[in-house]
Amino acid sequence: MTPKALAKLPLFLDGAMGTQLQAKGLQPGETPELWNLTRPADVRNVHKAYFVAGADAVYTNTFGANSAKYHGDAPLADVIAAGVALAKEAAGGGLVALDVGPTGRLLKPSGDFEFDAAYDAFAEQIAIGAKAGADFVAVETMSDAYELKAAVLAAKENCDLPVLATVALGNDGKLLTGADVDCVAAILEGLHADAIGLNCGFGPDRMLPFVERLATATSLPIAVKPNAGLPTVVDGRTVFTVGPDDFSRDVAALVDAGASIVGGCCGTTPAHIAALRSAIKGRSDNAARHACRRTVVTSGSRAVEIPLDDSIIIGERINPTGKKRLKAALSEGDTAYILREAVSQAESGAHVLDVNVGVPGLDEPAVLEATVQAVQSVTDLPLQLDTSDPAALERAMRRYNGKPLVNSVNGKEESLSAVLPLVAKYGGVVVALTLDESGIPPTAEGRLAIARKILERGSEYGLKPEDFLVDVLCLAVSAEAQSGNVILESLRRVRAELGCRTCLGVSNISFGLPARPLLNAAFYTMALEAGLSAGIVNPLSAEMMSAYHAFRALTARDAQCSGWTSFAPSVAQQSVVSSTPAARSAKGAAPGGDAKPGTHLFEAIRRGLKADAATEAKAMVAGGTDALDIINGSIVPALEVVGKGFEGGTVFLPQLLMAADAAGAAFEVVKAAFPAQQGAAKGPIVMATVKGDIHDIGKNICRALLENYGFRVIDLGRDVPPEKILEAARREKAKMVGLSALMTTTVGAMAETIELFHKELPSCKVAVGGAVLTADFATKISADFYTKDAMELVRLAEREFR
Amino acid sequence: MTIALELPDIMPYLRMGGRTPDDALAARIGELREKALAEVRPARTWRRMAIPQAWLDESKALSIRLEGCREAYLACGTLGAAFDAYHRRISVRSGADALIVQAIGAAAIEKVMDGIEDAIRAELAPGESLVARYSPGYADFPLAEQRTLLGLIDAPRRVGVTLTDSLLMAPSKSVSAVIGVRKENQA
Repeated sequence: MTPKALAKLPLFLDGAMGTQLQAKGLQPGETPELWNLTRPADVRNVHKAYFVAGADAVYTNTFGANSAKYHGDAPLADVIAAGVALAKEAAGGGLVALDVGPTGRLLKPSGDFEFDAAYDAFAEQIAIGAKAGADFVAVETMSDAYELKAAVLAAKENCDLPVLATVALGNDGKLLTGADVDCVAAILEGLHADAIGLNCGFGPDRMLPFVERLATATSLPIAVKPNAGLPTVVDGRTVFTVGPDDFSRDVAALVDAGASIVGGCCGTTPAHIAALRSAIKGRSDNAARHACRRTVVTSGSRAVEIPLDDSIIIGERINPTGKKRLKAALSEGDTAYILREAVSQAESGAHVLDVNVGVPGLDEPAVLEATVQAVQSVTDLPLQLDTSDPAALERAMRRYNGKPLVNSVNGKEESLSAVLPLVAKYGGVVVALTLDESGIPPTAEGRLAIARKILERGSEYGLKPEDFLVDVLCLAVSAEAQSGNVILESLRRVRAELGCRTCLGVSNISFGLPARPLLNAAFYTMALEAGLSAGIVNPLSAEMMSAYHAFRALTARDAQCSGWTSFAPSVAQQSVVSSTPAARSAKGAAPGGDAKPGTHLFEAIRRGLKADAATEAKAMVAGGTDALDIINGSIVPALEVVGKGFEGGTVFLPQLLMAADAAGAAFEVVKAAFPAQQGAAKGPIVMATVKGDIHDIGKNICRALLENYGFRVIDLGRDVPPEKILEAARREKAKMVGLSALMTTTVGAMAETIELFHKELPSCKVAVGGAVLTADFATKISADFYTKDAMELVRLAEREFR
Repeated sequence: MTIALELPDIMPYLRMGGRTPDDALAARIGELREKALAEVRPARTWRRMAIPQAWLDESKALSIRLEGCREAYLACGTLGAAFDAYHRRISVRSGADALIVQAIGAAAIEKVMDGIEDAIRAELAPGESLVARYSPGYADFPLAEQRTLLGLIDAPRRVGVTLTDSLLMAPSKSVSAVIGVRKENQA
C-alpha cells in the first residue's frame, strides 16, 4: 500500500485504454475488460507503452468491471484481479490505479437504479481491486453526482487507498444530471476525496475555464485527463484529431490554471503522454493551493454558497411542529402534499429547504429518508436535514444526493459525539445550536462560549469554522424581554469573534403575541442587519420576503436592485386581490355587470384560467359568500360542465385539466378562508404507478382530477412494489386503489399487485389504466375496473363512494 | 443545438383530434414551451455498421424494413435528465402543465431525431439514401435488443441514455433507432 500515492506532484497519468484496444481490434459492443483474460499481452503492452512514455501511474483495464455493467462470461473477480495484475507487471516502480467507471445505469429518480445497488457494485469492485494490489482508486468519467457519491463512499469504506475522483462535463460545464464544478467540488471535498478533477468530455482547450473555476472551489490537488479533442466521424468511424503537440501545449495551460495531476482520455496515445511529460517536465507543483474558506451546500445539481457578507433563505414549511395538515400528510404517507410545499417554497425564492418529519409514532429514520428522496425528486435546492435522531440523520445523510445542511448539533456531549462524526464522514454544513446540558445561556457571552466549544470539538474531527452555521437561538420576547437584544448581540459577535456564519429560526421571536407576521418581519430585518447568514423563515410570507429583498436592495447586496425588481410584482399582485371586484367593474370587464354572484368564478374555471379563478374566489370570500355556496354554486357546476364536455367530445384532456387546475386554485382559497368548514373529503383512494414503471403522467393526471372532484388521494408515486401498495391500502382502510402502467414490460407487475390484493385485501377494489391497457386485458389480469381515462375514473369513484 | 418548436409541432401530442387550441390553452403552451425548452440538453450519437445478422434472423418486420440494406446507422437521441426533473417538478402542481410539458418533450425529441437523420444524410456517399427508422419493440423486433443497440453505440457513456430493469429508457425522453442505408444500385 502506498498511502502517499498522490503526494508527489505533478503526477503523470496514462492516456486512453479503450481507443488503444480498439486499434488492436476491439469491436463495438465487445467487453474490453474481458481482454484482461483473453488477450492479456495486448493490455499489458498498452500499460507498458504508457510507462515508457513517462507516465507515473496507469489506470487498470477495469472501467466497466462492476456487477451492474459487466455481463461477460468470466467471473468478475478474475477480470478485476487480472486487470490489476497486468498493470503491476508493466509498472516496474510505477503506480497502479484501480479504474472505476460508471455503472451505465441511471439512479433514481430519473432512472430506476437504487443508490445502495450502485454502492454495492462499486464496493465489490474496489474491494477486489485493492486486494489485488492497486495503489490508489481512480473514480472516473462520472456524469451524475449521486453515482459519484456512491463510488467515492464505496472507496472510502472498502479500502484505505487514496481516492482520485474525476467527472465528465458536457459542453455547458455540467454533468448530465446538472451539477457544475462548484457542486462537484463541494460534494467531493465533503466525502474526503484525495484529489479531484475532470476527464473525458472534450479536449484540453475547452477544459480551461472549468479548471480555472475548480481552482477557486477546492483546495485539493486537481487532476485533468482530457480527450484528444472532440470526436469527429470519418468514414463512419469516430476519431480524435488533436495531436501530441497541440494536446501537451493545451494541457500545460491547465497546469498553469492549477492542475497538478495530468494525463489523457479518449483518443490519446503514448505519444501524447510523452509530449506532455516533456512539455511540463521540470515544473514543480506550482499551483498555489489556497485554503478554500467557502461554506457551500448542494443538491445533486445545484450548489448554494452561504456567504459571510450576505444572507440566504431556508424554507421552514416542511416541519410538522404546529402544522396539522403536514402532520396528517406525514402519517398518511401523502407525499404529494409535501412535494407541493417543496415546490411552492422553491418558486417563492427559498435557497435551501428544511426537512423535518418528527411526528410521534413515525419510524423517523425510514420516513426522513423517504421524504428527503421524494423532495429531492422535485427540487434542485439543497436540503437541511432536520432531526434530533442520529440514526435518522445518518440514514438520510448517506442517501442524500449532494452535500446537505444538517440541523443540528448542540453543546451536549451526547450530541457532539453522535453528530460531528457523521458530518466529518459524509460531508455537510452543520447548524450549531448554542445550548448544552445547562440549557440556553441568557447572555450572548454564554452562547458564544458554547459555539466556541462546538467549533473546537469539530476541529478534532477535521471540521473547520466554515463547516458550521451557529444558531444563537430565538426565544420569544413575550417570555424573555431581552431576547431580541441578546440574539442581535450574539449574531454580531459570532461573526466578528468566531468568523463564523449564523442561522436563526426567526419567527419564534413573536410567539404568544398578536400580529406575528409584522413582528417577525421587523425582527428579520434587524437580524439581517446584525449579520444573519441564513434565516429559517416562511418563504410564502410576503412580509418576510419583503424584509429580505428590501434589506438586500438597501444595503448594496442586490446588484441593480434586480432581486427587488423581480420580487416586487408578486407583492403588488397580492395587494390588488382585495380590490379585485372594484377593479373589475371599473374596467367593465364583466359582460353584464349584474351577473349573479359566482358567474365569474364559474367562467374562470370553465375556461381553465387558474389565476383568475383564485382571484375570483378571493373576491367572493371577501364579499362574504359562504364556503359551501362558492363550492356548490360555482366550482362544482363549472367542473360538471367541463366534465360533460369531455365525455361528449367537445372538450379535450388539456382543457379538462386546466379547468381542474383552476378549480383546485379556487378550492385552496376557500380552504384557507374557512379552515373549519372543510367538508369531509370522499375516499380515500390509494394510487400508484406499478413496480418497474417510472412513467407516471397518467397517474398524476388521475390524481389531480380526483382531488379536484373532492376525493382524498394517497399518492404513493411510481415504481411502487405491490406490498407497499397493499400496506397503504390497509392502513388507510381504502375501498379502492388505482394502478397505472405505461409499458407492456410492466403490466406483469400490475397483475402481480392485483393478485396480492385479491388474496390479502379482497374488500378493496382495484381500478387500472394506462397506455397499453385495454378493457379485455384488464379483465384478463382480474382487475375490478378498467377506466380509459381520468374522467372515467372520476365517474367510477363517484359511483363507488356514493 | 437549439430546438425550435411551433404550436403545430406540439398539438398532435395533446391528442385533440386536429382541433385548434383555445386562447387559454395556446397561452399556457406558449409559456411552458420557453421554460421547458430551457431544460432541454439534447445529446445524440450514432454509428454506421453492418446490420447484426441476429436481428434480421429474429425479426421479420426489421428484415422487411431493411430489405436491400447491408449497413445501417444505429442512433440514439435524448433530451437529457434535466428535462425529466423539470417534468417531475411541474407535475407536482398541475395536471394540465404535466400533460403539456409531456407533449412539448415528445415534439422536441422528434426534432432531435430529425436532426440526427439530417446529419447522417450529410455523411452519406452519393447514391445512398436512408430508409425510415425502426426501433426495438416495434412489431417482432424484441424490446430486449434495446440493450444490444445501446451497447453497440456506447449510449450510456456518449449521451447518458441507460436502460432500466424493465427495459425503459432513462432519461425518459430518449429514442433509439436503426436506420438502414440503401444504395441505388442495390436490389
